[in-house]
Amino acid sequence: MKRVYKIASESSVILYFGESIDPVVSKEVQKAYHALKEAKVEGFYELIPSYASLMVVYDVLSLTFDGACERIESILSHANTLLEHASNIVTIPVYYGLDAGLDLELLCEEKGLSVEEIIALHVKSIYSVYAIGFAPGFAYLGEIDARLATARLANPRKAVPKGSVAIADRQTAVYPAQSPGGWKVLGRTPTAMFDATYKGLSLLHVGDSVRFEPISKEMFLKLGGEL
Amino acid sequence: MNGFLVQNGGIQSSIQDVGRQGLSDIGLTQSGAMDELAFGYANMLVGNTFNTPALEIAIGGVVLEAQGVMRIAICGANMQITCKEKVLALWQTHTLQKGDVLHFSFASDAQFAYLAVEGGFQTPYAYGSFSTSLKEGLGGIEGRKLKVGDFLLVLAHQNVGEKRKIQEAFVPSYPEEITVRLLKGYQEERFDAEAQRLFFGSTYTFKGEGDRMGYRLSGEKIVPSVTGILSEPICYGAVQIPSHGEPIVLLKERQTIGGYPKIGSVIGVDCFKLAQLKTGGKVRFCEVTLDEAYRATYTFYDFFKNIGVC
Repeated sequence: MKRVYKIASESSVILYFGESIDPVVSKEVQKAYHALKEAKVEGFYELIPSYASLMVVYDVLSLTFDGACERIESILSHANTLLEHASNIVTIPVYYGLDAGLDLELLCEEKGLSVEEIIALHVKSIYSVYAIGFAPGFAYLGEIDARLATARLANPRKAVPKGSVAIADRQTAVYPAQSPGGWKVLGRTPTAMFDATYKGLSLLHVGDSVRFEPISKEMFLKLGGEL
Repeated sequence: MNGFLVQNGGIQSSIQDVGRQGLSDIGLTQSGAMDELAFGYANMLVGNTFNTPALEIAIGGVVLEAQGVMRIAICGANMQITCKEKVLALWQTHTLQKGDVLHFSFASDAQFAYLAVEGGFQTPYAYGSFSTSLKEGLGGIEGRKLKVGDFLLVLAHQNVGEKRKIQEAFVPSYPEEITVRLLKGYQEERFDAEAQRLFFGSTYTFKGEGDRMGYRLSGEKIVPSVTGILSEPICYGAVQIPSHGEPIVLLKERQTIGGYPKIGSVIGVDCFKLAQLKTGGKVRFCEVTLDEAYRATYTFYDFFKNIGVC
């Protein structure tokens, strides 16, 4: 697949692999991200993957744009022959009760589906981590079933509770901490998304696969969830 | 224990070094000192290495009580600092005695001042940096700005060195009108010739809309050919043009990814100048080549390297 290198700043280059949310493009981004990460290039300070692009922030005192691009290209052209990075499958337990799924009723009305149908549609897919951003550990997961696709709330909440599992457009995510937000909330997980005790700090990393598993209110509370 | 007892946290004061590295891929912002020049000078004066945590004071209003003998330096915005009814000069070292109380008034010329102390602050280290990220609530003192009652630990130094000051020729001024150098890139092609002419030909005003994350500038509105792009990584200094048409320059505590078109990036060393622009200040953008951007960056950091403190 063709990679386009562009200047982002005097100390960063951005690689474009495509222009849309596409599992094939995302796979390419993920492969490049892991190959560069494993190469541990001295002077590469940040590797930031997103849907169809990857940014490399480098030490401008030891590398130039051309030098950084050559280094990246050499690693990536070599990496194409390597085995794909084995991704984790992470299961996230979710309590989908109305007291946690703040927008479930709204969605039922909007979609003409029952609560059970909405939960079933959200649970049936295995999602891929396309990007992490917005907040530490906030993973953009795609894609949700087209029947669930929904716009963001017209009035974003000032405080979405920590652990809220929510959807917007064709994406789903878990709010790692209480924060403002406009995604529609279906439920809540007791699992921490970002924690100093995790290896790598974030539960999820770009390229991981994620599935949601419905749990009862009792189990949610037992696992440390708060309502 | 030596250090400072915070009697008043001021408008927004936080411990900062040059920022966090290597965790943008899981959404952690870089954070770090908004103006690395004043930050670097303050550390240099007290004999610290460049990346030693210092106290970043926005606007002022801070009151600190020294718990022991310490050598300090304060550089950056002039906040009219007094101690025992005497005014303390910026850009030079001072030796504090136990019980000395530093009063910071409010800056009128720029935004940030840096208080460095010999040996550095011994505040908690979080995820590879001493920097506070206010948005994420991590690093520094409980991830927040200082408040009354906080204690900033400093390792006691018995040998307080000679007085040092920055030569006048090297002391930066904080003009009300600045020009910052911009490297085109990113989605430059999303802005046609007319949009670019307007952008580089206009003077923008900083009306105080912004924080450590970035500054929004008011003035000529320019229209990109697209209103949004697929969310992509964001670098330091990136100039986003949202649909309202006014530029937002992203600074130290920027988000890691975002979906607004960007006309280019203000070079790092000029982001430091922009960060210090006072409310009401004016900004113009001028285009630089990559080579010019490199030269400006080398000059900046070589200055600290050459005197052996980088």
